[in-house]
Amino acid sequence: MVKKIEFESYKEMPIRPMTLGSMMWNLTGSWRNVRPLYDFKTSPCILGCPTNENIQRYIYLVTEGRYEEAWKTIIESNPMPAVTGRVCFHPCMTKCTRKDYDEAVDINAIERSLGDMGLENGGWMEKSKAVKKEKVAVAGSGPAGLSCAFYLARQGYPVTLFERDKALGGVLRWGIPEYRLSNELLDRVIKQILDSGPVEVKAGVSVGTDVSMDQLEKKYDAVFLGLGLMSSRGLGMDGEDEDGIEPGLDFLRKVNSGERVDPGAKVVVVGGGNTAMDVARCALRAGSEVTVAYRRTRNEMPAIAEEIEEAEKEGVAFHFLAAPKELVRRGGKLVRVIFQKMELGEPDDSGRRRPVPVEGETIEMEVDRLFTAIGEQADLEGIESTVETDWDLIKTSDETGATSNPKIFAGGDVVTGAASVVEAIAAGRKAAERIGRMFAGEPEPEVEEPKTVGIEDMNTDYFTRSKRNLVPRISASEAKTGFSEIKTGYTREQLASEAERCFSCGVCNFCDNCWVYCPDVAIARHEDEYEFLYDYCKGCLICVFECPCNAISIREEGK
Amino acid sequence: MKAPRIPMEELMGSGHLACQGCGATQAMRFALKALGPKTALTIPACCWAVIDGSFPHSCIELPIFHTAFETAAVVAAGIKVGLEMRGDSETTVMAWAGDGGTYDIGLQALSGVAERNDDIIYVCYDNEAYMNTGIQRSSSTPVGAWTTTTPVDNYKKEPKKNMIDIMAAHSIPYIATCSVAWPEDVIAKFRKAKEIKGTRYIHIFTPCPTGWKFAPELSIQMARRAVTSHVFPVLEITEHGQKIEVWKDFEPTSVRDYFKPQGRFKHLTDEEIEGLERDVEQKWRRLLAKEKMMASIPGME
Repeated sequence: MVKKIEFESYKEMPIRPMTLGSMMWNLTGSWRNVRPLYDFKTSPCILGCPTNENIQRYIYLVTEGRYEEAWKTIIESNPMPAVTGRVCFHPCMTKCTRKDYDEAVDINAIERSLGDMGLENGGWMEKSKAVKKEKVAVAGSGPAGLSCAFYLARQGYPVTLFERDKALGGVLRWGIPEYRLSNELLDRVIKQILDSGPVEVKAGVSVGTDVSMDQLEKKYDAVFLGLGLMSSRGLGMDGEDEDGIEPGLDFLRKVNSGERVDPGAKVVVVGGGNTAMDVARCALRAGSEVTVAYRRTRNEMPAIAEEIEEAEKEGVAFHFLAAPKELVRRGGKLVRVIFQKMELGEPDDSGRRRPVPVEGETIEMEVDRLFTAIGEQADLEGIESTVETDWDLIKTSDETGATSNPKIFAGGDVVTGAASVVEAIAAGRKAAERIGRMFAGEPEPEVEEPKTVGIEDMNTDYFTRSKRNLVPRISASEAKTGFSEIKTGYTREQLASEAERCFSCGVCNFCDNCWVYCPDVAIARHEDEYEFLYDYCKGCLICVFECPCNAISIREEGK
Repeated sequence: MKAPRIPMEELMGSGHLACQGCGATQAMRFALKALGPKTALTIPACCWAVIDGSFPHSCIELPIFHTAFETAAVVAAGIKVGLEMRGDSETTVMAWAGDGGTYDIGLQALSGVAERNDDIIYVCYDNEAYMNTGIQRSSSTPVGAWTTTTPVDNYKKEPKKNMIDIMAAHSIPYIATCSVAWPEDVIAKFRKAKEIKGTRYIHIFTPCPTGWKFAPELSIQMARRAVTSHVFPVLEITEHGQKIEVWKDFEPTSVRDYFKPQGRFKHLTDEEIEGLERDVEQKWRRLLAKEKMMASIPGME
């Protein structure tokens, strides 16, 4: 502590008035009635992400060129950023604060770049060993099963992964076309996950039939069911099993396994989700003239907006407010479909307006093949007796995937119905964490409502308006001629420039503002953080106001 | 963490006596970071004569000569010559005065130094009134402002004196204005000044929460809004007063936004504010026209 210099008599004083010491003895902190404190919030994007990737953190690390750490940050909550970076519907970007300023940061494209780097740099993935004795069976190798297996293995639990197909990946392999996610890339992602820890694979084994649930429950300490949805829902129309009608998923499976397909000259796809888009675009690539018929309007389509735009650019036609009513065959061959014209009525449970028929109005279309893509259903043969189900889905009590059977957990589409890859990944991870806590005898943690921020909390003086860096892509005319990947990914320069657009909402990104502007030199700048020197902070709160990110809060003294 | 935006070295310490949110204190901190330890200061009567600390203490780890109100420039020039005679040509000597000590009381000494082109940096940290003596008007106080000597029913009617033109008329080698809201710019200008010989004049805009009656956390916001509203143009004048470069690369904001948080402008009516906004815009246009005109003189392109 620096002491104040005091003179007993004039004889001790210097001949001329001069400085003998600093002012550090004067603890100006006593002037303060409010104190600033570093108080990081949760960025809205993180709350928007179903698996709560620490998006702010990894984008910050990208701005510093610390790619390995950035990738590892994603891996904490998602083992396959190269996949989600391509196929995710990125709800994070819908929450991005920047959308209220100019345009949301392209988090999805940043994630993809990092995901690809993680595949190129095999050494980034840390290896885990089987250090625990409890064994877990994971049924299904789609995003939920892979994620669950990965996070169990990382905790040291040996996992056996069952897949009823010969090849792993589930919906990622047979449900998503090559131009969005290539099998070659998927193989690399799966290999990286499997190589990282104690995961044994049993492919070609169907849980519930080839191996019974009883056997699994006996042999393993826990079972995770990530079975997905296996078959297309029917239209419920007369003549649906005859010529010309094909489930969209079957068609996708053929296309994705490289089988030659010939859907015919005129194709109609019934449905408005991502499967409908995938089927339509694959049929287009097989040379057909394709129309998507949807019973609501474009606004209600559940497909990713970008997918709809791309399909349209490639030449897929859309027919809204139309539901198939009658199939017309000539000589046993489908020739026409009569559609009932619909209009939008009151909102239903999903909040979307319900389509209702306009009496007496129909449309006829010449059709060689009609693909159904109005939803998928699970196949719970040999499973429904062991866990409680709800319609054809497995019932869980919360998001950690606990079922009516204490040893059995479930997650992904088989629980939620057709949802998304990232939600399945989240479900797999949360179940893995829950299973780990169950084995360790730990209680379920209490979840606090996270504090977050919005555009009104930011100091936008520090941001200049900028356009999103567009992801390079091949032209629509080139795209529709084959199955090459449409988006080619950011260059390093684009990656850096897009990462710089992040507002770092609620979290310090070391911009130095607090430290630079402090009139009282009352903030210490350390290697990885700043520290308030409350002995000297006078409580002017410039740091709070000038923090672009709202990472500093205020507390009244004495409270 | 990234590399620091401004030098880590601190020549100004904590424990000083500035009010909460003091812009003049930030200005000193940035200036010393730019100039480094081989610097000596003269400080006349002004806020900084107090901020610095009480005898025998100082928050600045450099030699300071506290001068009489009117003599900061000339004492600095004397110190510089003295150092030269002792063989020290390295030390930068800086006179650090407020707007009262620059615009009013110290103007003759500054003018003399500038005319002789004595080798010092003269800094005016401008908080637009005599703040430490109790907020009395100076010739830097802007038109429309309340001070204790220009009370609300008789607020200041005269425009702020154009100190920059006065200094430019002295044909000194370097003149710059800057605002504490842009520390990198402040530091760059002090570094540039340090390398130039002769009289260098730097004018820093330093908001005063106490005298302008605004919440201290808005100090930097005011320093920023003054610039973006064109109230305080940031510029450089080089080539002995012959070349002006005005900084224009920002999104303009309204004068009203700048006035609003400040109690010293609270009494102004909408019409009065509109009138002042027109004045500010006219001055800004004149400045840009001058910049262009000066650049178009043959030999100055």
